[in-house]
Amino acid sequence: MLRFLKNNLKNSSKEDNEKYPSIAKNLDKNVKQLNKMFSSDKNSDFASREFVAQYSNNKINIFYYSTIVNGDKLYTGIIQPLLENVGETLKNVVTLEAIEELSTYEDVIEHINSGYVIIFEDTLDKAFAIDVAQFQHRGIEKSQNESVIKGPKEAFTEALGVNVSLLRKRFHDKQLINESLKVGERSKLEVNLLYVEDLVNNDVLKDVKKRINDIKSDNVRNVEMLEQFLEERPYSIVPSILYTERPDKAATYIEDGYIVILMDNSSACLIVPINFWAFFQSPEDRYLRFLYGNFTRLIRFIAFFITVFISAIYIGVTNYHSEMIPPDLLLAITAARERVPFPLVFEVLLMEIAFELIREAGIRIPNPLGPTIGIVGALILGQAAVDANIISPIVVIIVALSGLTSFAVSDVSMNYSVRLSKYIFITASAWFGMFSLTGAFIVWISYLSSLKSFGVPFFSPVTPTYKSPGNNLFRKALKNEIWRPGNIKPKDIKKKQTE
Amino acid sequence: MNLIKLFILMVPFYLFLTGCYDKTELEYQAYVVALGVDKGEGDNTFKFTYQIANPETGTAIGGGSSNEPASEIITVEGNDFLTATTTANASVSKKMTLDHTKVLVVSEEVARSDNFLGLMQTASRTTQIRRQVQIIVSKENARDFIKDNKPQLETRPHKYYQLMLERSTETGIVPESDIHRFFQLTEGDADLFLAMYTTATVEKTKNNGTEDEYKAGEIPKKGGNPAEFMGSAVFKEGKMIDVLDGQNTRLALIMDNTLEIDDLLSTYQDPVKEDYKIAGDFSKKSPTKVKIDYRKDVKTTIDVTVPFSFEVLAIPSLVPYSQDEKLREKLKASIEKSLEKKANKLIEKAQKEYGSDPFYWSLYIRNEFASIPDYEKADWNKKIWPNAEVNVDFQMSRLEFGKMVNDSQLNEVRD
Amino acid sequence: MKPDKTLKTREMFAIVALFIGVKLSDTTATLYSQKVQNGFWLSVVVSLIIALPSFFILLHLLKLFKDKNLVELLEILLGKFIGKVVGFTIFLTSFGLLVLDSRNYVEEVKLLYFPESPTTSLYFIFIIVCILTAKRGLESIGSTSWIVLPFIKISMFLLAFLILKEIVWLRIFPIFGNGLDVVLTEGINKASIFSEFILLTIAYTSFRDTKFFRRGSYIGSSVVSLELVFFFLLYALVFDYNSIEKVAYPYHEVTQYVNLGNFFTNVETFFMVFWLSAAFLRFIIYLYLVAMVFGAVFNIKEHESLLLPLGLLTVSSGLLVENTVINELVYREKLLMYSTPLYVLLPYLLWIIKRLRRDLK
Repeated sequence: MLRFLKNNLKNSSKEDNEKYPSIAKNLDKNVKQLNKMFSSDKNSDFASREFVAQYSNNKINIFYYSTIVNGDKLYTGIIQPLLENVGETLKNVVTLEAIEELSTYEDVIEHINSGYVIIFEDTLDKAFAIDVAQFQHRGIEKSQNESVIKGPKEAFTEALGVNVSLLRKRFHDKQLINESLKVGERSKLEVNLLYVEDLVNNDVLKDVKKRINDIKSDNVRNVEMLEQFLEERPYSIVPSILYTERPDKAATYIEDGYIVILMDNSSACLIVPINFWAFFQSPEDRYLRFLYGNFTRLIRFIAFFITVFISAIYIGVTNYHSEMIPPDLLLAITAARERVPFPLVFEVLLMEIAFELIREAGIRIPNPLGPTIGIVGALILGQAAVDANIISPIVVIIVALSGLTSFAVSDVSMNYSVRLSKYIFITASAWFGMFSLTGAFIVWISYLSSLKSFGVPFFSPVTPTYKSPGNNLFRKALKNEIWRPGNIKPKDIKKKQTE
Repeated sequence: MNLIKLFILMVPFYLFLTGCYDKTELEYQAYVVALGVDKGEGDNTFKFTYQIANPETGTAIGGGSSNEPASEIITVEGNDFLTATTTANASVSKKMTLDHTKVLVVSEEVARSDNFLGLMQTASRTTQIRRQVQIIVSKENARDFIKDNKPQLETRPHKYYQLMLERSTETGIVPESDIHRFFQLTEGDADLFLAMYTTATVEKTKNNGTEDEYKAGEIPKKGGNPAEFMGSAVFKEGKMIDVLDGQNTRLALIMDNTLEIDDLLSTYQDPVKEDYKIAGDFSKKSPTKVKIDYRKDVKTTIDVTVPFSFEVLAIPSLVPYSQDEKLREKLKASIEKSLEKKANKLIEKAQKEYGSDPFYWSLYIRNEFASIPDYEKADWNKKIWPNAEVNVDFQMSRLEFGKMVNDSQLNEVRD
Repeated sequence: MKPDKTLKTREMFAIVALFIGVKLSDTTATLYSQKVQNGFWLSVVVSLIIALPSFFILLHLLKLFKDKNLVELLEILLGKFIGKVVGFTIFLTSFGLLVLDSRNYVEEVKLLYFPESPTTSLYFIFIIVCILTAKRGLESIGSTSWIVLPFIKISMFLLAFLILKEIVWLRIFPIFGNGLDVVLTEGINKASIFSEFILLTIAYTSFRDTKFFRRGSYIGSSVVSLELVFFFLLYALVFDYNSIEKVAYPYHEVTQYVNLGNFFTNVETFFMVFWLSAAFLRFIIYLYLVAMVFGAVFNIKEHESLLLPLGLLTVSSGLLVENTVINELVYREKLLMYSTPLYVLLPYLLWIIKRLRRDLK
């Protein structure tokens, strides 16, 4: 039934496209058509101008959105030459770089939307498009969410061209391809795939392109949304695409044969295919010296385990295996709990949810109010709740620890999956102690290991094994990184020439 | 297909309903720190004493009333450790758990009775009583011992037992005597098991002893906690037969390779000025060598060599041992001899009186046999040990004099 | 190289190490020690000496017939019908052992850690975890095993290290326990404890290259054998000859006895977690392999859909047995004894048939 409806919809949209007549030789007809299509009487920034070209003495009409084009460029590069210069064809007259010839109205609409100026000339059944776009965007700023101490600070910004330039600056290779695709049915936006032609795995590349072309949505505004259209398992607890705002991180992946996906309107890029380990890595690990880098990695993995398991283990051990706690600690916890009115599980959940609230409020709160959240959170939820015997102090420690360590998992998506997993494990251990906790852990691990990101197993190259730079849980010294990650099957596996 | 899926989806919910069987909140449990066993009214019943730790004592958090006692002691009559806890629940408000029990105090009366082994068997069946729980034999009733034992420095009883047992086994005046070892030795059907001997009622003190020639209850002391850990109870085949004093316990531990003794300070007679004593630190760096020469139907000879080093700590007689080679030799010979004398006395007692050895030496004869039936037929306790010829040789490998080269001459100082 | 077959040597090693290696921590030790007492670690050596060569012969045969798994090999050598019958017998015995063994593990968990919970609930959770994980396929099982393996092994060797100070080496004597004859007969009778090696070969073709399977098996089986003997020896040294036969779960008894310094005195739950992960994985592998055998015998391509019915059947038949002691000492021992000739002699038989056939040609 649904499928039938879908088919119907598809057909109707096709008919829509076919409604446009072809471009006529008569200028007036074209102008009328275009004005109708863009509702020029209502659309205030849709501009058109008519004049007679010097070189051919034909009437000319130009169309553009005044808000997204560069006015100076338009005047000095197009209008002035057309009015004054003499030449054979339009292309000789206009001094600006690229002039495209368009033959359908679809192309015309698309180009106007992208900030082009469209020129119609009487007696010609085609239009010319010249790029004078000037979309507004931020400048290049410091990376906000993936900050480093040692290493470059630049971050992507919401302009595609700038982002590509940031990447090309980092990787000088003639094989670095910037392939452009269109996405969206109604609003066609540009998606750029960056990869190294003689490294990238063609199957993965084909798969990515196919998935982008298969998107039938009217509008895909930015990479954050594109990510959700691309992934295989939208309901999965773990992400399968890496999202980063750091051009240096993206460049490292390009070098190894990964594909980077960029779009306008996003100050970040997507990297595919990806594995589990990449979500815990920061580019700083490789900028720091061997020992220091590995030390931070170790800390991060410990933090990961604490985040996921500490609350669950606390519940499991205290509720089911109290013999395990050393007697001094046991008596201390017991004494603290004597006057707490709730069961321990409830106590932990209460505190965990309170912490999530603080975190959520911290993100949403307007900046000037920021400091208050700290006071409210720390004082009311920590101190006062303990004094009021609502929770025991040890639970505050446990939850604070699990909350604090969760920030060490810096990837936004992984951070959420870690936090959600935490609740799965809390439920499991509240149910049958360490028995069900272990069971849940095994199921969880086996689920992760069965996942694939664009055909690449999630735990590879550790298991299944592949040749790799050894940059997983820990990393090797840079000069020992001989191979590219074999799990993504690059065309050239050797990274360092050893002779 | 959908029905099956529905069924599968239902299973977890069914299981969720069944969860929480073994769930117990911490504050719903009473933690028994020490267990006591006394003879009961009936023939085969016992009186069990449970010392329950009070979690609110000694903790800063929670701010509970500090006037509460550190522990609650309750005694009930029963058949075994676990079922008696239910009886105790008649007056204890929480579920009693024995997981954190540190010691099992057995009164001498029970230890000497035939029922003791049966009682211990019940302990090994449950997971709650650990194999590392220490067996302590108290001279008086276990209940009295637990009640009278009032340590001043550690208000919390579990800490007291932990520290007390650790320190006293380090010095060797009591042996380490966990349940695990009790079973190994008792079921092995050879050798004697030594358990800590203790009391909290001082009856008569012995005034002429040196630092370790006491049994619990004989130490002349003033102040402090009435409980004393000193000496050991000797168990043969799961039944207590005698008490060894601290010195003999130390000797037994020295000669037994399966137990450790770290800190052995003791005094020996000064070979030159016989009114004085010399204090020193005895340390055994390598294991005792036990060589058993076993031939069927011939008297077994057991050669024991104890290598040790000795560090002199005090020479009140001011004899310049450190200066004079000859005096040193004399001191060495005298210490070795005195140790050998004491050891021989203990061995003789073990052979004649006990009919088994407290040194776990039956281990050294095992390699003579290919199978257990052969070994059991040879019968260590009855045939080999009592008739064996035991030669003990203490060998001092090093004699040291601490960080002082010589003592200041008292006569010169007084000039 | 097939794209969906990603498993290599290390996953095979992990599978062997978990599938067979967990035996050091279950009641296998008790099974041996009943009659042999402190010489039971030698019986294990005897069993291994009997079981391993037949496993290696089977591997050799599989190498000759490239890209065939156990059942396919049986069918080629014994003919279609007899091959299927033998395959089905293998399925029946392994399934029987799976049922008894899993019940045993659940009972162990219940007895030691969840005394008040009903076996049914624990058993259900146990099997559901196994089904859910097994359903993800052999690739995932292999990867999971490899990831969990280091933790399990570290915990086991930590335990071995902690217990080293409690052992008395001289308890190794009398060296043959209850006598050399008992050591040998027990070792031979119980050789089928290692029948699981044979069961593994059903997955022969599921690896990226069959050489990885062989390499993993060789490394895995040798490491596991050493481990087993080492741990059984440790048990003998910790509990003397009279106690060892009374202890039902030596591994857990040991974990209850050791302590990490004075502070952590009851650390058995810590070791239980790792033991339990190993146990889960063992039965995940077991269930999967049994389903694979069943699928191969009855030509069911989607053997993963068999996991659910087989798993539920395991629970329902496992619950039929009254109590652990009967389960362990009667049913399991009998089954092991009767299936020994099947598992030990089958590879030799296959080998002889292979030789004869070649001579005929």
